[in-house]
Amino acid sequence: MKRWGLRHRGGNSRETPLADNGIFYMTDAVPGKKYRIARIDGGYRLNSRLCAMGFIPNEIFYVSGASRGGPLCVFIKGTKFAIGRGMAEKIQIREI
Amino acid sequence: MAKEIKEITIAISGNPNSGKTTIFNNLTGLRQHVGNYPGVTVEKKTGVIKYKGYRINVVDLPGTYSLTAYSLEEIVARNFIVNEKPDVVIDVVDSSNLERNLYLAVQLMELNTPLILAFNMADIVKKSGKKIDINLLSELFGAPIVETVGSRGLGSDKLLEAIVRAVSSRKEKKVEVKYGEEVENEIDRITLVLKKQKIPTFKFDIRWIAVKLLEQDREIIDKIKKGSGSKYLKVEETVGSSIDHLTSILRDSPEVIIADGRYGFIKGALLEAYKEVDSGKLDVSEKIDRVLTNRILGIPIFVLIIWLMFQFVFTLGKYPMGWIELGFEKLSALITEIVQQGLIRSLLVDGIIGGVGGVITFTPNIILLFFTIAVLEDSGYMARAAFVMDRIMHKIGLHGKSFIPLIIGFGCTVPAYMGSRILENRKDRLVTMHINTFMSCGARLPVYILFAGAFFPAIAGNVIFSIYLIGVLMAVTMARVLRATRFRGESEPFVMELPPYRIPTLKGILIHTWERTWMYIKKAGTVILAISILMWILFTFPMIGNNYSQNYNGQIEKFEQSYRSGEITEDELNEKAAVIEGKMAGERLTYSAAGRIGRFLEPVFRPLGFDWKMVVATISGIAAKEVVVSTMGTLYSIQEADGQSDSLKTALYNHYHPLVGYNFMLFTLLYFPCMAGMVIFRKEAGTKEMLFQIGYTFLLAWVMSFLVFQIGRLFI
Repeated sequence: MKRWGLRHRGGNSRETPLADNGIFYMTDAVPGKKYRIARIDGGYRLNSRLCAMGFIPNEIFYVSGASRGGPLCVFIKGTKFAIGRGMAEKIQIREI
Repeated sequence: MAKEIKEITIAISGNPNSGKTTIFNNLTGLRQHVGNYPGVTVEKKTGVIKYKGYRINVVDLPGTYSLTAYSLEEIVARNFIVNEKPDVVIDVVDSSNLERNLYLAVQLMELNTPLILAFNMADIVKKSGKKIDINLLSELFGAPIVETVGSRGLGSDKLLEAIVRAVSSRKEKKVEVKYGEEVENEIDRITLVLKKQKIPTFKFDIRWIAVKLLEQDREIIDKIKKGSGSKYLKVEETVGSSIDHLTSILRDSPEVIIADGRYGFIKGALLEAYKEVDSGKLDVSEKIDRVLTNRILGIPIFVLIIWLMFQFVFTLGKYPMGWIELGFEKLSALITEIVQQGLIRSLLVDGIIGGVGGVITFTPNIILLFFTIAVLEDSGYMARAAFVMDRIMHKIGLHGKSFIPLIIGFGCTVPAYMGSRILENRKDRLVTMHINTFMSCGARLPVYILFAGAFFPAIAGNVIFSIYLIGVLMAVTMARVLRATRFRGESEPFVMELPPYRIPTLKGILIHTWERTWMYIKKAGTVILAISILMWILFTFPMIGNNYSQNYNGQIEKFEQSYRSGEITEDELNEKAAVIEGKMAGERLTYSAAGRIGRFLEPVFRPLGFDWKMVVATISGIAAKEVVVSTMGTLYSIQEADGQSDSLKTALYNHYHPLVGYNFMLFTLLYFPCMAGMVIFRKEAGTKEMLFQIGYTFLLAWVMSFLVFQIGRLFI
């Protein structure tokens, strides 16, 4: 597992399913439906990059498509991004 | 009265896809210079404009979303702004997407740079009926704002005007982003420690450093650490406790909170100056994407587009290539006519025209290739291609975009190396380049045709196909090996913008194509010229003089006499003379340094089943793979050898076992692409990587051929 930073908190989704309160991961988003980002949990480097691209808490987004097992297409802040699953698993989301 | 020319430097920054390059092109036109930033492979474009008594040096910074130290491009952009202190920084902003694009502007503001905002694509905003209060925004950001439409060349004059105004009357008005009470308290704490410990701040603003430390910016941390020695411990302690404190009370890490603060500032400003409506409706781009990135259709469409590109580049390129070849042939003939037979003629015709000409001949391919790549890039499809191919390429440790240079490699490895530039991540790029040579290029095909035709005439097609297949398998294997060893880890997580589809501007595409092509031609004229001369020397000296094993000239004379006396026809004479001249050429080659090196190295290649002639052919193939065929021809004293030469095929068949013949094809596939390829490789990746490429491909070729020959021998 690649360490992103000194304070890596290891927020890897699959082994540690999120408890409850309607929070889940971006990889589980239903395409076309709008969600809000709840939290970004990837170590400072990944966090900084995602933030610079507009992935910040409370931002609304929707997944507009995905290739099977490959990256997701995410529409956020007026721009479309292709984002790898590994990265999408570091983004926690909730329903609006 | 002579006016004094004042020299100023401006830098152009902006998000990817904001139209930054178009603005740069509009300002500088064709007066551009492309180089690299010192020590890194990030492209640096510069240009000069003369305007109202100013000589304005324009530097195009790499497109970035922010000025954190996440990528090489960001570090380069930030270091340029901090170290070179440009007189003005123009931030090109996509004004149809202000909230996102102004994030970089806020960071530039924080760096305290004299800033001009170019609100690009202003026409799109106007068309959509939205209104921006430019004056108010300009006030809020403390920077002049100029509206531009890059694609139609509008606004460049106003931009120049604004630059001159900003330089002549600099007003110090600092706008500060506030991050909320908790964060501000920690910033104050850190600032205090920095001051108290007298930590060197280099050219940075102290508040900015405090913010960067909270964001855990590696670059800055390392810099401060180095500059302050043991005093840094105190800083580290304070920053650590600040981070823990913020994380515990705000439940997000500081870098996220700080980013949130910047977006908050932008939102606040836009709330006053701009009526934002998030329409979320399906626009044209979205409709196109429904098809092009479709789960099922995506890959077939991608394959089709690549196939079309391949056809376009190599089919259309064939004609101008033919003209250039013809031109060089005419030039050779002309030189043969006016220059006396001898060393100078041989150097000009065989060495220089043969070497440099062979490289220049590929120029039409290069032009067409970069033209298509520029169209794919500027239209927005390239990002989709990467998206579609990412899953498959990911499995062999590569990036979705790697597929494109690999496909190009089947045509010619040289443009394929250059095409690897579309990969931003250095490791992805290097692995792609290192395996590209195994995608068997067009120049190797004549060698296969000759050998497969000589040894396996009935199944030649299948044999050649098997060589191509082995190449692909080697590429996949080596990609995984390299990823697991030299280029381990740091595989950049996949995230990239899928910009809206746009119709590319012809000017942008032409500039793109031209600058890359020019780099190629320049290389052909310098380094490749030198290597061609060197190869010529190896194959010419020492000269045999009159030390031929037989009196060949006497033999030719004898035939000429019999022709004059009517015993043989002119055709017969020419035929006989050609055979003898072929033998002479063979002996000259044997006597030359290359021939000697061949015999000297023979023991190394004997375990592969090669004799010294194959070694010499291999050496000549370093210049260009197709040369292998003509060298083989010379060695077997057959004039005008090409892949179709039946006498050469017979000669090979009589001399070698089919296993050796196959093995030679395999070796030709794997070893060292060619000298033009290596020159470009060095230019793209540096000397160290080039040496690695040369070393490992030779080694791999040797080991594979060794295995095939030694194992194959057991069965024959």
